[in-house]
Amino acid sequence: MKSTLKCLIVAALLTPFAAQAQMPQDAIYMNKRQICVAGMYGYSSWNQYWEGSLKRENLNIGTHTTQSFMLMPVIGISKRVNVILSLPYVWTSTSAGNLMGQRGIQDASAWLKVKAVQVGGFSVNAVVGGSVPLGNYVPSFLPMSIGLQCRTVTGRLLLNYRERKTGLYITAHGSYGWRGNTRIDQDAYQANDRVYNTNEVQVPNTYDAAVRLGILRKGIQTEFWAERTACLNGDNIRRNDMPFPTNNMQATSVGWYAKVQPHNIGVNARIGYVVDGMNVGQSTSYMLGLLYQINFKK
Amino acid sequence: MKKYSQLLLISCVMVGVSSAIISCDKSITEPLRVGYTPASVDEKAGTWKTYVLTAPTDVTVATPSAVTSAEYLAEVADLKSQSASLTTAQQEAVVYWGAGAVYRWGEIARELAAKYNVPPASTPDGKYPVPDAANPLADPRFPFANPPYTARAFAYLSVAQYDALVATWNYKYKFKRSAPSKADASVRVALPASALPSYPSEDAVVAAASYTVLKAMFPGEVPFLDAKLAEHRNSRLWAGMNVISDLNAGVDLGSQVAAKVMARAKTDGMSTANNQTLTAGMIEAAKGRGLTEVWVSQETPARPPMLPNYGAVMNWNFDAATKVKLRPGPPPAIGSPEFTTALDELKAINKNQTREQARIANYWADGAGTYTPPGHWMRAAANAANDAKYSEVRMARTLALVATALMDAGVCCWDTKSYYYYPRPQQFGLKTSVGLPNFPSYTSGHSTFSAAAAVVLGSIFPDQADDFWKKAQEASDSRIYGLIHYRFDCTTGLTCGKNIGSYAVARGKADGSGL
Repeated sequence: MKSTLKCLIVAALLTPFAAQAQMPQDAIYMNKRQICVAGMYGYSSWNQYWEGSLKRENLNIGTHTTQSFMLMPVIGISKRVNVILSLPYVWTSTSAGNLMGQRGIQDASAWLKVKAVQVGGFSVNAVVGGSVPLGNYVPSFLPMSIGLQCRTVTGRLLLNYRERKTGLYITAHGSYGWRGNTRIDQDAYQANDRVYNTNEVQVPNTYDAAVRLGILRKGIQTEFWAERTACLNGDNIRRNDMPFPTNNMQATSVGWYAKVQPHNIGVNARIGYVVDGMNVGQSTSYMLGLLYQINFKK
Repeated sequence: MKKYSQLLLISCVMVGVSSAIISCDKSITEPLRVGYTPASVDEKAGTWKTYVLTAPTDVTVATPSAVTSAEYLAEVADLKSQSASLTTAQQEAVVYWGAGAVYRWGEIARELAAKYNVPPASTPDGKYPVPDAANPLADPRFPFANPPYTARAFAYLSVAQYDALVATWNYKYKFKRSAPSKADASVRVALPASALPSYPSEDAVVAAASYTVLKAMFPGEVPFLDAKLAEHRNSRLWAGMNVISDLNAGVDLGSQVAAKVMARAKTDGMSTANNQTLTAGMIEAAKGRGLTEVWVSQETPARPPMLPNYGAVMNWNFDAATKVKLRPGPPPAIGSPEFTTALDELKAINKNQTREQARIANYWADGAGTYTPPGHWMRAAANAANDAKYSEVRMARTLALVATALMDAGVCCWDTKSYYYYPRPQQFGLKTSVGLPNFPSYTSGHSTFSAAAAVVLGSIFPDQADDFWKKAQEASDSRIYGLIHYRFDCTTGLTCGKNIGSYAVARGKADGSGL
């Protein structure tokens, strides 16, 4: 899954995929003393979800929508080392029923992307990222909560090959995501078929893997992608119950991404669709972003 | 090349740091409860007033063999071999059950309540199938352990434990057979041994009584309960606390008492609590008293109200005529100034709920998938009694007083809800941050449950009375913050709960315990 997105995923619990831009999942780097700031709006919705492996609708939710606005600066430390920061504001709503929408600042995340090896058109990139909850949002009111209030650390290996003449490229990555425990407002909860007499909740760790195929030329990029993101363990949503942070959320999604940035100003867009999953909504997501690049004189 | 190695180094460091963090401990710490020597063994408890038994002699216990008999010595020899060396799992079982038999079986009951507290899903044709006790694991599972159901389960569990332990104390002091480790100092004990006579074993009594009640309340959990029962029994042998005849006599006594208690359950009116044919009459009666807008399910498809006739179930601490007297006066007319004030308060919260309001609403929500408000208060009661190092029988008395007050509160509150059939705030456009219960609004169940429990606990633990009442007040407010009750639902519920709880308090004062 998109890492940036990962926080969002979590955020929109049942909405794994939302927005994303320049990114911890590509092999594109800002040059030294360059900063690209992206402002991105994301819209993601579902009207069916997987309760465990049972796909269902919920007439008391109707269509569940997660929207977000994210600010994301990418900073070129050198042309092989970039830092990516992001801060999303997220809000949720439903078309039916009476669950109160939630809104607020979610988790701040930071990524360090390093091009470790470059041989011809082939590169090996290492990415390490982490996120910290910033807003004091409620983590256990799922699917309305905007996040899970847990810290995360993600390690990612990203391989890229780009054919210079045509600009055709293929990218593949795999990651492991550690997620810290969260604390909820309640002092007891049920998970894994038992009651825990504490407010501390174990949130499962995650992995993801993705393949992207696209074209990157000066000022323009377009790609198709497929992604699998999943928890390493966790329990299922109980029959006709609400989701919980301990759930084993899994999603396989496909989508398209494009960026046009002829000069300093650019735009990017992304569409994603969850084709299969467990304990997540079958969301369709759209993202539209505005990019602005600043070059500092040496 | 130097640059490459630098980058490689950076990468390695990053991977190293992240893997160090990944291996971080994520284990969860829960509060530990361990065994203790009771502050008092309550040797006169055999004379305390019981709920269902008329006297301890309603049940029989075989006269034990003397501690000098060959039979007993053989049992002690067997006990020594079982308790000589324990595996880690056995040690854990000893420590777990050593925290207290009543304490642990109460915890198990809460766990089952949480597990079964999920409303049935609707079928494609828009119906809600009713859980079937004869087929408890089919979808929807039986029972739907909602607050009224759970309050009743806890009440029968606690009453069975208490009545059984009063009878046990009677026989313990009749036979006065000392604990194996007192009869033979070479028996190794893994738990504190008090001066309490050991025949019949109070642990075996509580286990058998609890097992019988919980098996009836949660019929899909027999294998789980069988395992708990066996482990509890074995833990007493592993701990060197009881010989086999202590345990067998306890199982016998506990089962006899629980059978009598469950006979009451069969005729307490619960079988007609979900009689949905009565709702049309309830609605007409409420309209006849001037209600202009009645409660309507806000779910899609519309779900029949939760146990609309639960208000007709038999109470523990007063009769049906008293129940009617305890019913509060009517709520404000829809559209009256009082009503509008209350609705405006909710609208303001709907617009701008603070994080602290959300926290309080969540802390007390105790909705689907939890052990319900009665479970919340049963846990508080058990912890207070455990902190005070109560003997098993005094612990059971405490929980029986609280649990019967909670069930009384549930019955009275449901009687009121069905009587007034008052609409929820959601019928006037409000959302909720905790989930909307599917039954009429007036009065608040949380407020009624909480006040009743707090009054009983305040009488048992006077030094904590203010604290318990503060919690009840907060639980009551939480329903306003969560936007599912008007303030008058809550304040009236608190008052009613206080009055309801006072009957259990009076019973406790007159039960012969002197406590």
